[in-house]
Amino acid sequence: MTGKTIVITSGKGGVGKTTATANIGTALAMRGNRVVVVDTDIGLRNLDVIMGLENRIVYDVVNVIEGVCKLNQAMISDKHDYELFLIPAAQTRDKNAIEPEQLRELCAELEKDFDYVLIDCPAGIEQGFKNATAAAQEAIIVTTPEVSAIRDADRIIGLLESSGLHNPKLIINRIAPEMVKRGDMMDQKDVESLLAVEVIGLVPADEQTVVAANRGIPVVHNSKSSAGGAFMRIAARVDGEDIPLMAIEPKNGLLSRFKGMVGMSGRTYSHA
Amino acid sequence: MDRNRGFLLETSVVQVIARGTGVAFVIDESSPFDVVASELRDHLADQSSLWSKGDITINVGQRILARDELAQVKSIIETHSGLTVTRFWCAPESLNGGDFQIEAKAAPLYEPSFLTEPSNASESQPIVHNEVVLSESPLDLTPNTAAASKTAIESIIEGLKSRHNKNGARNRNITEALFIKSTFRSGETLEHSGDVIVLADVNPGAEIRADGDIIVFGSLKGWVHAGASGDNKCVIIALDLPSPRFQIGKYLGVAPMSAPQKSKQSTIGPKIAYVRSRSVHVAPFAGRFARYKKGVPYDG
Ligand SMILES: Nc1ncnc2c1ncn2[C@@H]1O[C@H](COP(=O)(O)OP(=O)(O)O)[C@@H](O)[C@H]1O
Ligand SMILES: [Mg+2]
Repeated sequence: MTGKTIVITSGKGGVGKTTATANIGTALAMRGNRVVVVDTDIGLRNLDVIMGLENRIVYDVVNVIEGVCKLNQAMISDKHDYELFLIPAAQTRDKNAIEPEQLRELCAELEKDFDYVLIDCPAGIEQGFKNATAAAQEAIIVTTPEVSAIRDADRIIGLLESSGLHNPKLIINRIAPEMVKRGDMMDQKDVESLLAVEVIGLVPADEQTVVAANRGIPVVHNSKSSAGGAFMRIAARVDGEDIPLMAIEPKNGLLSRFKGMVGMSGRTYSHA
Repeated sequence: MDRNRGFLLETSVVQVIARGTGVAFVIDESSPFDVVASELRDHLADQSSLWSKGDITINVGQRILARDELAQVKSIIETHSGLTVTRFWCAPESLNGGDFQIEAKAAPLYEPSFLTEPSNASESQPIVHNEVVLSESPLDLTPNTAAASKTAIESIIEGLKSRHNKNGARNRNITEALFIKSTFRSGETLEHSGDVIVLADVNPGAEIRADGDIIVFGSLKGWVHAGASGDNKCVIIALDLPSPRFQIGKYLGVAPMSAPQKSKQSTIGPKIAYVRSRSVHVAPFAGRFARYKKGVPYDG
């Protein structure tokens, strides 16, 4: 098997890298792929928490790189009936504990055995970012429709290009349809024209994402969640399926739904 | 003029170019490294008395230098002159294979300090950037040389400037243009001694300085400086010009605060920014050498 390594990165913190890694990883595994997710946010690990695997950590990625344990000893298997593994970050070390080349070797080893190796990248453009991106053949950039996040994404795309990672894909996360509708938030077109990269997914702001994170069950398991559905479609696109992007539009309230039935409102149902 | 010319290192290998209040060494891309090193050493030794204190930039073009070669160039220059090498420039392509990166955050050598320290100007005048004359008072503008009297470097700069102005029109048409075929992104910077043409957007946070014109086949939102070595006849052309601030020669253009969005007609379509009667104006593009009258004054 020769899989590929994809880094999920953003520049700015808190935009949804870890959420995206957990959900795309889970969704890819649900689609029948062998998947491993690697948390490289050393010192600030939380991919394990979001995936509900924090109680099962014995070894971490730094232990593997330093030869303290074997690679398979640090791989935590998800409890489900699909093939999903996590290699957690070390919590008591810092980003300088590993070198880009070491992570590259580790991922090359994983690629032999997995369809997808997903790397959850720390925020910033320093050592941790360099480590994470050196190991990847492809990149997914996560941004929110806010100027500061977009500025950072732009910087990241430039840095990726200069280190040979071309054509990154973009996820626009936490889109609030009502705000877009009011003109208070940038829409997909604004973001797309500013960053000039291909958009691979539009994820609505959805409080179920936070509920899911607190429970340690990625939101793709919740078939009613709009964000979950969006991440499922992103995984399908990563997996090579050609699914068109669907516009995110405001959900109808009971009243407007009623109005819609009697032909008083032009609003459509929510898609993502 | 000729006296100043004599100061210049005009070998085919090493060229000295005036840039605003500083100088740049441009090292030929194709000469072997040891030739460059010995050439540099010879010239600096010959004229060591000319080089007093100051910061310089080294432009290595597309040459790919290893870290120790960079260090060697730096040490040759610093030991044979009083100069301090503050940064290196290179063409973007040499980044892939090279061992160094464009340093985006380093203070640019010839960033006009009046941009960052408007407090120098009197309080009553809010932003009178375009009144600052670089060639007459470089000392006020570069803190590093504040104590020095008129140095050899300044004479060289003046020499180059007058030469540039005298033959400006003719020279400008034959400068090498640099094509950038991808989006110019936040944090990326570029300097070029000729014209720069970008076939994409220049995003906020990106910086381009060109001694010639800057032409953007896209939306110009970043910071650009055309005629960066002092040529006010240079222009900036862009399909869309939302950038709030840019510079041509010594004149700063600041987008009007309450943009007088008169008609849709004047806001859509390619724009040209040029200097007219000591201030920057923007008008719908009608050709590089068209006669532009008063456009929208970009004076804040
Ligand atoms: N689509 C979304 N809707 C609502 N909340 C979200 C969404 N995506 C992420 N979040 C929340 O935002 C916070 C930051 O997300 P996280 O994935 O940890 O960001 P990062 O890894 O980039 O720092 C978390 O609390 C997460 O639950
Ligand atoms: Mg994170």
